[in-house]
Amino acid sequence: MEVKINQVEKVITAQFIGRLDTPASLEVSRQVQPLIDHADLTVVLDCSQMEYISSSGLRIFLTIRKAASARGGRVIIRNMNEDIRKVFMMTGFLNLFEVEKA
Amino acid sequence: MKKGIENQSFLRQASKTGLLLIVVAIVTLEATALVQYYFSQKGIREEASLRAQSQLESTRLKISAVIDEAETAVRNSVWIAQWSLDYPDSMVAVTRRIVCENPVVVGSTIALVPGYLPSRPLFSPYSYQMPGENEVHYRQLATEAYDYPSQEWFVKPLELQVGYWSEPYVDEGGGDILMTTYSMPLWDYKGRLAAVLTADISLDWLTDLVGNVEVYPNAFSMMISRTGQIMVCPVESLIMSRRAQEVAADMEGGDVFDELNRSMMAGETGNLSLKYRKTTNYVFYAPVEKTGWSMSIVIPDSEIYGGIRRIGMMVKVLQLLGILMLILILRSSIKSQLKFKKLSENKERMESELKIGRGIQMSMIPKIFPPFPERKDIDMYASIVPAKEVGGDLYDFYIREEKLYFCIGDVSGKGVPASLVMAVTRSLFRTVSAHEKSPQRIVTIMNDSMSDMNESNMFVTFFTGVLDLGNGHLRYCNAGHNAPLLVTGQGVRELPVVSNLPLGVMPGTSFQEQETDLACQDGLFCYTDGLTEAENAGHELFGDDRLIALLRSDSLAESQLKAVSQSVMEFVGDAPQSDDLTMLYLRYMNESLPDRAERHLILHNDIQQIPQLAGFIEAIADEIHLDQSLAMSLNLALEEAVSNVIMYAYPEGSDGLVDIEAIIRHDRLDFIITDSGKPFDPTQAPEVDTTLGVEERAIGGLGIYLVRNIMDDVRYERAEAKNILSMTKRIQ
Repeated sequence: MEVKINQVEKVITAQFIGRLDTPASLEVSRQVQPLIDHADLTVVLDCSQMEYISSSGLRIFLTIRKAASARGGRVIIRNMNEDIRKVFMMTGFLNLFEVEKA
Repeated sequence: MKKGIENQSFLRQASKTGLLLIVVAIVTLEATALVQYYFSQKGIREEASLRAQSQLESTRLKISAVIDEAETAVRNSVWIAQWSLDYPDSMVAVTRRIVCENPVVVGSTIALVPGYLPSRPLFSPYSYQMPGENEVHYRQLATEAYDYPSQEWFVKPLELQVGYWSEPYVDEGGGDILMTTYSMPLWDYKGRLAAVLTADISLDWLTDLVGNVEVYPNAFSMMISRTGQIMVCPVESLIMSRRAQEVAADMEGGDVFDELNRSMMAGETGNLSLKYRKTTNYVFYAPVEKTGWSMSIVIPDSEIYGGIRRIGMMVKVLQLLGILMLILILRSSIKSQLKFKKLSENKERMESELKIGRGIQMSMIPKIFPPFPERKDIDMYASIVPAKEVGGDLYDFYIREEKLYFCIGDVSGKGVPASLVMAVTRSLFRTVSAHEKSPQRIVTIMNDSMSDMNESNMFVTFFTGVLDLGNGHLRYCNAGHNAPLLVTGQGVRELPVVSNLPLGVMPGTSFQEQETDLACQDGLFCYTDGLTEAENAGHELFGDDRLIALLRSDSLAESQLKAVSQSVMEFVGDAPQSDDLTMLYLRYMNESLPDRAERHLILHNDIQQIPQLAGFIEAIADEIHLDQSLAMSLNLALEEAVSNVIMYAYPEGSDGLVDIEAIIRHDRLDFIITDSGKPFDPTQAPEVDTTLGVEERAIGGLGIYLVRNIMDDVRYERAEAKNILSMTKRIQ
């Protein structure tokens, strides 16, 4: 799993590439720390290349969302594939995030 | 034609036997009657002879009494008559006294030997009584007209010098009565023959006495004198007018009469039989002493044997009737035997036809086992035992396009009608199933067809199935038949069936199709209720429990079915089989069944091993062509479950294993995750509320929530110190 974080003005974008499974989540939870630190900005989570997500991955997303909620930022999930979208739907996460397609 | 000849020969044989029987009966009856007749006749003859002789004897005694009395009267008067010789004038008084003092004596004279008294050369004073008078008359017999010295009564005693009974004679002067005279020679004191003293006695009483001898109603008596003069006879014109010899000469067969006359006149006693005018007569005769008379009793044999002949006649009539009845009985017996023979011939014919029917019926159902020797994936055996020659049970099976079509059915009722419906059912099954793959369609079409033409209101309980030999998928449809038994390694249970209506009850009935999957070595035991309702002598049913106890998943179909048959036979014993008994056992033996594929993965309790699950699932998904999306869901569920174990089951830092087994069936996937860690039941985790807002949502609990959502069934079980989590996902 690779996470590319890129900030342009007040929009901070994290691109997830690969499978966000449980062991990956351990790593990713550290890598996304800048996003939590900048939770007052607009955080864009680019999932266009994310192949898979487990509950631990969902927890990272929720942590970011909670931080943004606390700091007054926005979290936008962009370009989820259909399977991942299904998981979001299943867990009620679709209601928690702004979701947009590219 | 052949039967006709057989019948004729049977008839001839029976008639022969009957005739023999009748002849034997006649001979026996006749012999018995003859023996009886002979001895009876002998007895009767002896009795008749006895009776006749006793009559003769008593009559003779009565006559003798009279004769003796007359003789005595004469003898008693001899002295006075001797004395009177010297006083001729007193002779009248002497004779008168004899007549007066002796009632039997009706006349008496003392006739002097001519020349004895010179003064009275002929002298015979005679005293007599007229019949019915007491007065005694006198007459001199020595007249011109009556030459007494030449008379028999005078000559014989002088000649013989003893008392002499004269021949009977009719006394013309004394009223035409039959008389006889006893004469005694008289000697004077000087010893010279001087005269004859006589006593006449009337024989009127003799006629009455002898004539009234009645031995038998039609018997009669006769008496003749020593010269054959007829003294007593039923024919009055013959009395004293004819001699017996003359009568005999006039008769045909006179020899016997002559013989009789000779014997009688000779004073013999005896009996003989003589034929006269076609009747045989028995004659018993005996002499009357002193007089030279002979008396006979003539008894026609019809008199003697009349009774016995009447009895004989009646016996003959009875015999005839008996024989007639015997003939009638024999006749009707032969007739009924002929009828019985015909009936049993009919029965034989029916039986042979039923036997042929049975042959035809049996040829309709597959009977060669193993039926598919080249196939290793199916093991089948079936048997059908009709209660009668032909039955109403059926089974059938065949393979078309790698699918086994099979059925079992039970027609209501038994015997020929049921067998016809059975034949129709079996033909319909073959015809319909040749074009239809769905058991439900097969049953529906069969039902409509059978209901339309079901005028006899017979119906068929029917179960049919189509087994996909490639994957063990069984589609089946039941029409009122009892549920087959599913025999698996885990035990025996009824195949779940919707009962539905039997075939032929109502057209347009809708039937529900069901399906299941057979694993390798799973067996389906189909049977008719003749099996479980087989009764022993105590009316106890064989029952489901006995059957279920006999079924074993590892038995071959043939030995299994034979074991059941054996057990039923032993149970039923001598009780008659009441219903057709049919069994069909099929065992699915496809060992290369993808359905049963198993995949194994063993992980250490290290979270870094989790990515292996992705490969594990991917391999399965490739194998059974699962789509990407489902594969990902399965991966997710598996990962959540396994990571739960890795994170919670084993203490931090300790080493443990997680065993992941996937069982692949065509319609579902089973995942069984086993670990030896501390007891942990993830299914008990609290539900996650997915409707909460960002602030309220908890971080944890999502994993098991996902598992539940993705899988169709999640079960936890703790066994042998292991946590076992089973998850099922149905697939199309």
